[in-house]
Amino acid sequence: MDMSFKEKSAWISLFSTLGIFGYYFYNIALLHGAPAELAKEAALELLLKAIILSVVVEVIFHSVLSATNYKAAEFGSDERDKMYEYKANNIGYTILVIGVMLTLGRIIIVEYNPDFADHNSSMQIPLLTAHILMFSFILSEVVRFAGQIFYYRRGY
Amino acid sequence: MVEFHIVNRVREKRFFANEMTQQDLAERIGVTRQTIMAIEKGKYSPSLEVAFKIAVVFGCPFEEVFTYELL
Repeated sequence: MDMSFKEKSAWISLFSTLGIFGYYFYNIALLHGAPAELAKEAALELLLKAIILSVVVEVIFHSVLSATNYKAAEFGSDERDKMYEYKANNIGYTILVIGVMLTLGRIIIVEYNPDFADHNSSMQIPLLTAHILMFSFILSEVVRFAGQIFYYRRGY
Repeated sequence: MVEFHIVNRVREKRFFANEMTQQDLAERIGVTRQTIMAIEKGKYSPSLEVAFKIAVVFGCPFEEVFTYELL
């Protein structure tokens, strides 16, 4: 498979995001029913670990990619790369906005109906609102990278 | 409905330009080799600017390289 530098970069970002944040959300889901204070600490620790690991993995893999494709890395993006990036960004941004709107809706509902969240939420996870927002962000990133790869493979 | 699509003769033009490589053409017009490959396969329609640059590299009129034809 003959891939451009930017496509390889998108594959790296997609797999690292899916792997690291997949592990993160899996562990967050396991906090269901855990004592609130303990779960809060665990969630914060998980978030920090995921962010640091994500940065480290991206830096290492992109450094290796740049070192093995230094000419392409220096060249940067051409018009096709920019167009695919722009189109994928549009889709990712739409998902992020939907996630933010849903989070805002949840904050407002819980604010006016404090009992609503406690009695009706099937997920008793501390910082749930923050996790929903984080999930929207990660989902938008995954869709953005997948969108770029989709356009590179299918063409446009 | 009548549908048109962009047809290009970049591969043919490269052949008659002393078998110019995709990399060579890419460097001359400032795109990646993969973009030239995508153009030749018809998977990507370049901007007008890049299309004109390709015609200039081969020293021929634009319509000799790119045409708009019935599907």
